[in-house]
Amino acid sequence: MTLRVSRRNFMAGGATLLSLSALGSKAFAADTRLRLLWWGSQPRADRTNKVSQLYQTKNAGTSITGEFLGWGDYWPRLATQVAGRNAPDVIQMDYRYIVEYARRGALAPLESYMPSKLNLGDFDPAQIEGGSVDGHFYGVSLGANAAATVLNTTAFQEAGVDLPTQATTWEEFGKIGAEITKAGKRKGFFGFADGSGNEPLLENYLRQRGKALYTADSKVAFGAEDASEWFDMWSKFREANACVPPDVQALYKDTIDTSPVTLGKAAADYAHSNQFVGFQAVSKDKLALNNYPRIKSDSKGGHYRKPSMFFSVSSQSKVIDQAVDYVNFFVTNPDAALALDVERGIPESKAMRDVVAAKLDATGKIALDYVSGLGDLAGKLPPPPPSGAGEGQVVLRTIAEQIAFGQLSPSDGGKQLVDELSRILAKG
Amino acid sequence: MSDVMRTTAPEGIKSEYGAAAQGRFKRLWTANAPGYLFLLPWLIGFFGLTLGPAVISLYLSFTDFDMIRSAEWVGAANYVRIATADPKFAAAMRVTLTYVVLSVPFKLTFALLVAMALNKGVRGLPLYRAIFYLPSLLGGSVAIAVLWRQLFAGDGLVNAALAHLGIQGPSWISHPSYSLYTLVALSVWQFGSPMIIFLAGLRQIPTDMYEAASLDGASKFRQFYKITLPLLTPVIFFNAVVQTIDAFKAFTPAFIISGGTGGPINSTLFYTLYLYQEAFGNFRMGYASALAWILVLIIAIFTAFSFLTSRYWVHYDD
Repeated sequence: MTLRVSRRNFMAGGATLLSLSALGSKAFAADTRLRLLWWGSQPRADRTNKVSQLYQTKNAGTSITGEFLGWGDYWPRLATQVAGRNAPDVIQMDYRYIVEYARRGALAPLESYMPSKLNLGDFDPAQIEGGSVDGHFYGVSLGANAAATVLNTTAFQEAGVDLPTQATTWEEFGKIGAEITKAGKRKGFFGFADGSGNEPLLENYLRQRGKALYTADSKVAFGAEDASEWFDMWSKFREANACVPPDVQALYKDTIDTSPVTLGKAAADYAHSNQFVGFQAVSKDKLALNNYPRIKSDSKGGHYRKPSMFFSVSSQSKVIDQAVDYVNFFVTNPDAALALDVERGIPESKAMRDVVAAKLDATGKIALDYVSGLGDLAGKLPPPPPSGAGEGQVVLRTIAEQIAFGQLSPSDGGKQLVDELSRILAKG
Repeated sequence: MSDVMRTTAPEGIKSEYGAAAQGRFKRLWTANAPGYLFLLPWLIGFFGLTLGPAVISLYLSFTDFDMIRSAEWVGAANYVRIATADPKFAAAMRVTLTYVVLSVPFKLTFALLVAMALNKGVRGLPLYRAIFYLPSLLGGSVAIAVLWRQLFAGDGLVNAALAHLGIQGPSWISHPSYSLYTLVALSVWQFGSPMIIFLAGLRQIPTDMYEAASLDGASKFRQFYKITLPLLTPVIFFNAVVQTIDAFKAFTPAFIISGGTGGPINSTLFYTLYLYQEAFGNFRMGYASALAWILVLIIAIFTAFSFLTSRYWVHYDD
C-alpha cells in the first residue's frame, strides 16, 4: 500500500495543525506558567510530575513544565540558565550550593511569605535554619535524610559474618571487612568501599572527634593530624584487604549505579538514607542501612539529620507568588506527600510524615526507621558548607587517591589536605 | 601611507576615486550577492555563534565573571594566576601535552599503514574503507567513550582476554598509571579520517615512478622512503596540523571516562576538561575564559611552528 498525500489534503492538514497550535498558544497565553528544574532519576520525575498534575487540577490556569537531569549535568545547566537570565521559577537546590546561589542573589528570600503563603509551622526548626543563609530563608527542605552505610546483607550471610551494629567501631568494622574479603564467596569481592576520599564519611569521623569540616566563617575546622590519622586508618584497611583496591574505587562517580555495592564489588558503601530506595531498586540482594562506625564504642554525634534537598525560588522569576504557592503545596498537601513518599527524604512536616508513614512499603520503612532511630549518634546540623566546598570535595578525593595508589604518605596527605582546602577557601 | 596620499589628493581626484570604488563595489555586490545569500546561514553561524562569543570570552577573561553576578574588570589577574599560582593548570597542561605527543604520531602512522595496505588494490576496497572510517564518525560520541569504559574496566573485555593468557590486569581506565594511555588508544583507533586523506594522497602519486624505480632495482622499502614519503609530505603535513589541533581540543572521552573528574589523581585532566570544571563546576567563568585564550595561543604557536618548519621537510612538486 502506498500513502498518497494530495496537495489539497496536505494544505488542509497543515491548516488544521496551524489552527490547533494557535488554539494551544492562546490557552497558554492566559495561563501562569511555572518552570521546574530538578536533578534525579526517572522514578523521581514520575513522582514530581504527579504532584504537578495534582496542583494543576486544583489551580486551573496554571501550567507547569518540569525538566530533570542527572546530578552531574544539573549544575552546569542551572548555572547556564541563571547566567542567561532564563532561570526556572522553582529550582531544586542542594545544601552544598545554596550559599553560592543565595549570596550571588540568584534566589528569592522567602521569609516574608511565611506563614500565610508558605506554611512550615510543623517543620523541625533546625531544618528551616538549614535553608537559611545570612539571616534570609532561601530553601524549603523537601525531606530529611542522614548519611548511612548501605550493607548487602545477602553477601554478609554468604560469608557467615555478622552485620555491624550501632555500636560497631572502625577497628571492628575493619576486621569485618577483612573477614568478608577472606571468605571469598564472590569473585573480586571485598569487605567495603574505600571511603578515604568520601567527604560525609570524613566529616562524621571529625565530628566524633569534636571537630568539623568547616567553621561557620568559612575556615577549615580540623587539623592536619586529624586528616593524617584518617588516611592512615584507611591505609591499614587497604593493607588488610578489608576494602576494595584503589583502581576499583576510582570507578565510583558519586552515583548509585557506580557504587561498589551496586557493581557487586563490596558488601558495604557509604551513602545517604534517602538513596536507599534507589540502591535497593538496582540490587538483587537484600540491602540494609546502618550508621557509620564509631571511633570508640561511646563516641557520639557524628551523624546529623540534614535537608536532603530544597526547593528554592528564582529571584528572576516573574511569578514568585505562584512559585511559592507551588512549593507550599509540594510540602504540605497530603496527596502530594503520598505521591512523593520518602524518595526525597523523610517529609519535614509532622502531619505529612504521619500521612506517609501509614502507607510506607518495607524499603521506605528501613530509611524512615534508620533516620528516626539515630539516637545519640546524631548531633547538631553543621552550618551550610562555604563557597568552594565543592572544589574541596574534589581535593579530598584526589589526595585520597594519591595515598591509595602509593604516591603520597598518609601524614603528608593530611597536611596537604588542610593546606589546599585553606587555599581554596581563601580564594572564595 | 595610503591615508596620507588620500587626504592630500586634490578634491576632484578624490571624488573620482571614490566613485570608481563605489562602482566597483556595486558591481562586485551584484555579481556576488547570490553567493553571499547562499553563504548567509554560515555567516550568521560564524558571526553569531563563533566570532561573537569568542570576542565576549576575550573580554570576560579580564573579569571575575561568575555567571550570576555582573562581571567586574580585574585586569590581567586571571592570566597572572594561571602563570604563577595554579598547580592544576600545570597538571592539565602536562596531561594534554602527553596526549598530543603520543596520540598524533601513533594515529598518523597507523592511518598511513592502513592506507597503504588498502592502496594495494584490495577487492572490496569501498567496504573496507567504510569499515575503517566508521570509528572516526563515532569517535567523538558519548557512546564510544562509554564502550571504552566497558572494554578497559577491571572486569572488561580486555582483562577477560588477558586472563586467558594468565595475566591479571588492573582496571585500566581507573588506574593513574594507565588511564591516559587508554584515551590515547581510543584516539589512535579513530584513524579513519587521516586514513582517507592519506589514501587520496597515495592515489596522486604516479605509478610510473614506482615502475621506473623497480626497473632500477630499488627495494620496496627504498621506494617507500624515496618516493612515497617525500611525495606524501603535503598530506602528512595537513594531517599532522589538523590532528594536533584536534588533540589539544579533546574533551568528550576524558569527560565520559573519568565521569567529569579528570581522575584518578588528575591523570586524565585534559585542558578542556579543567576549563569546563572551572567554568561550570566552580563558577569561575572569567578564569575559564582566560584558560581558553591560553589554549588558543598554545594551538596558534604549535600551528605557526609547523608552518615555519614545513618548508624544510614538505615538498610540493610544483
